[in-house]
Formats: sequence, C-alpha cells, structure tokens
Amino acid sequence: MSNSKLYKGSLNTIILQLLNQHDKMYGYEITQKVKALTKGELNITEGALYPALHKLEAEGLLDVEVAKVDNRLRKYYKLTETGTKETVNKLEELAEYIRTMQALVNPKLA
Amino acid sequence: MKLSKEEIQFIDNYLIKNEVKYWDVRLELLDHIVSAVEDKIVNNGISFNEALLEVHRGFGNQFIEFGVAKSDVFEKGLYQSNIGFKKFIRQKQKEVGRKYRKITWKHLKIKFTNIQFLIEYIAFVLLFISIYKFSPKSSFLIGLLVLILPNIYSVYYFFKDKSARKSLSFSMATGSAMFLWSMYNLSFYILKESYESVANIPYIIFVLVTCLFYPLVSVNIEVYRKVYKENKKIYNLKFYK
Repeated sequence: MSNSKLYKGSLNTIILQLLNQHDKMYGYEITQKVKALTKGELNITEGALYPALHKLEAEGLLDVEVAKVDNRLRKYYKLTETGTKETVNKLEELAEYIRTMQALVNPKLA
Repeated sequence: MKLSKEEIQFIDNYLIKNEVKYWDVRLELLDHIVSAVEDKIVNNGISFNEALLEVHRGFGNQFIEFGVAKSDVFEKGLYQSNIGFKKFIRQKQKEVGRKYRKITWKHLKIKFTNIQFLIEYIAFVLLFISIYKFSPKSSFLIGLLVLILPNIYSVYYFFKDKSARKSLSFSMATGSAMFLWSMYNLSFYILKESYESVANIPYIIFVLVTCLFYPLVSVNIEVYRKVYKENKKIYNLKFYK
C-alpha cells in the first residue's frame, strides 16, 4: 500500500467494511473502490491487497465464489457470518483508536 | 475497452512463463491484470504493452529495461523478473498452509471427543497388535500402507480430476500428507542409529508409530475430502490445464 504506513494496520478493516457494504467484490474492484472513495488519497497496491484477502479467507472471515465474466474467471470475496461479526469488532476498534489518537494529538476536539 | 480472447490468452501465457503454474492462483491474477490493463488503456490512453508493463511492475516485479524499447520488452525478458509473482504465490501458500493446519487441528480435536472414533481407534490398535502377534512382518507392511493412505488419496484425486493437478490447494493438502510420511521416515532415521541396519529394527516400533499416527492419517484423508469438496463447490468444474 502506498501513501502512509498509518493505513497499513487498517487494511483488514477497510476490506471488511467494503465487503460489508457490498454483497461481494473482486480484488481489482476493491482497489478501485478505495481509490474512488478516498479521491485517490489511498492507493492499495496488489502486493498489499491479496495477502490481506488470502489471510482473511484463511481465517474464515471471507468466503469465495467464482463466476465467468468476459472470457475469464473472476473470484469474488464476500463476508462469512464470522466475518460480519468481526467487521463490527474491527470498526469499534478503529473508532476507539481514532478517539485515542484524537485525545493525544488534539485534546480540544476529543 | 474489453480485451480480446487472444489478448487474454496472451496474458495467461505470460503468467505461465512467469512461473505462475497453479491455475487457482493464476485465475485471480489473470482477472486482476486484465481488468487493470483494460482500465489503463481507456483512462491513461496507453498501449496494451505499456499497460501490461505497468501492471507487471505494480505487482512488485522490478524490471530494468537496459535501454530496450518497450515493444521489445516482451520478447527480450519481461519474464526474467517475476519476484512479485513469486512473493504472491509464497504468501498464498503460507495462508493456505495455515488454513489447513487449523482445519487439521480442529478435526483432530473433534475426533478425540467423538466416542465413535475412539472406539474405532481402540479397535484399530487391538487389531493391529493382534496382527503383530500373529505375523510381525505383516503388521509392518499393513502399517506402512495405513501411513501412506493420504498419499494414495492424493494420487487418486490427481487421476480422478484434472483440476486437482497444478492446484495450489491440492498441492498444500499433499504437503500435509507428506509431512506425515516424513514423520514416519524420521522414526526410521532416528532408530537406524541404534541398530546395525533398518532390517534389525524391531517391528513393534513401527506398529507403535502407526498406532500413534493413525488419528492424523484419518484427519488427513478428511482434509483431502474437504479440500476437494470446497474446490468443487467454488470452481464447479473440471476446467483447467
């Protein structure tokens, strides 16, 4: 992932949340969605995205499904039941992290 | 702009030349690369070759052109730098391996809380000891057969369904069956130091090793079945080279 190392720790949460908002997504679609949502600020590289997706899949948080699209096969990722629960936990963790950082960096706003 | 069948085939061949031999890895890379190339051609107004080169680099395949024109790059040596793809495969292997270890452990725990399996295990041990008492050599040979059962399964699937070949999932499942086999070989290796030759090692030791590893043999076969079922469900076809 380019930009900042600060985003790195949140990559799993970003993926889980995107899949929570969409029924299913494929790898390239995730990179493009993040780029669009952040207006090009966050650019997830292939080298960061796929290891994260494969890890989440191995942990049982994601399920896969394959469909034929435009003369090729496409692998879609979607949340499992455990994945949906884990997304809630990860988002809470992230919100807590943001609050803590806010308190440290800008106590007036916290 | 959508890429033609020939261009998609070109990218698939390019991946094969870049040593992405597992079809279940290649299909995901192929889709990503085709999508990215299509996108770059439309939005950046660049050629197919230039777009593919950019995507190639995007995967961490550092390519130094040494003054070679971009149009010649594909002829001269784009395939020489596949470090990014190698890393991609390694990371995927690591995660699949982790997944299978987790499944194996989970199944093993279930087995030891399952009365039916415990009865089966006790019956196996008793039967095996009886065979040993009757004919030690036969028990050794049967034990050997039991321990290579997961490998026999792997060969069975290899011939049964061609999608099991060159598949990373199956290759990793075979790896865990090979682990069992290597543990058995290890016992040979350790024991041969204490005895003059392998032939002098008492058969009872191999009987014990077989009895000890029996639950793992049983779990390994279950993992194979699970991997096969899962792949069948996901890919739903016998399709790839």
